[in-house]
Amino acid sequence: MLSAQERAQIAQVWDLIAGHEAQFGAELLLRLFTVYPSTKVYFPHLSSCHDATQLLSHGQRMLAAVGAAVQHMDHLRAALSPLADLHALVLRVDPANFPLLIQCFHVVLASHLQDEFTVEMQAAWDKFLTGVAVVLTEKYR
Amino acid sequence: MGHFTEEDKATITSLWGKVNVEDAGGETLGRLLVVYPWTQRFFDSFGNLSSASAIMGNPKVKAHGKKVLTSLGDAIKNLDDLKGTFAQLSELHCDKLHVDPENFRLLGNVLVCVLAHHFGKEFTPQVQAAYQKVVAGVANALAHKYH
Repeated sequence: MLSAQERAQIAQVWDLIAGHEAQFGAELLLRLFTVYPSTKVYFPHLSSCHDATQLLSHGQRMLAAVGAAVQHMDHLRAALSPLADLHALVLRVDPANFPLLIQCFHVVLASHLQDEFTVEMQAAWDKFLTGVAVVLTEKYR
Repeated sequence: MGHFTEEDKATITSLWGKVNVEDAGGETLGRLLVVYPWTQRFFDSFGNLSSASAIMGNPKVKAHGKKVLTSLGDAIKNLDDLKGTFAQLSELHCDKLHVDPENFRLLGNVLVCVLAHHFGKEFTPQVQAAYQKVVAGVANALAHKYH
């Protein structure tokens, strides 16, 4: 499903994110809540008070999971199985929301990395994140 | 989709004033064709779309991108009547071009990414929110006359 070139580009994108998981993760969530306010329903503990520490902490956790997915991009189902269970049984985030998060992710990367985040990298990253979203929602029914 | 507040309009117009429509247009259409390659289905006559660099350098892509963004510039001057502004273009996209309206949403999202890329930190969450409203409104207006 992923070509060798795409794998390399996904790894390249992760190299630019690594070390900034909390910062990028927090901004990702802030953009998600600002641009798509309906997504706040899934984060009642976060979205009511815009507490920077909580956003950083949750953002860090989410991006760490993305990083783990990058390490296992050839066996996402196995690697993400516990998270898929969590999303299916507990979180039950409607699948329509994942493209909104992905859009905000691209905007975070584009605005921070500018020319370092090339069009090919965006293509590979979009394909990868879409695949992650599929795995996370696969056990819903 | 949205009602534009005076603050939205000020944010939107002020940023748009700094956009090079020709460059941004080519970049936006090019990115759409690279990131979502199935959108190339509408552009068989455009010549070489065989690689990311071919697409981004393709003169027809640049020219058409400029055309599309110029039209969006008109939208920005008429945020309170997007449906009216795009009525004819909507009919054209349905009856002649046969474009699935989902493509308007994809293009709008890519434009937001291009603006983020260009403006960096200046493209705050609030600015993004205003522009996502614009592109959602335009996409809906373009889909409005479909039958």
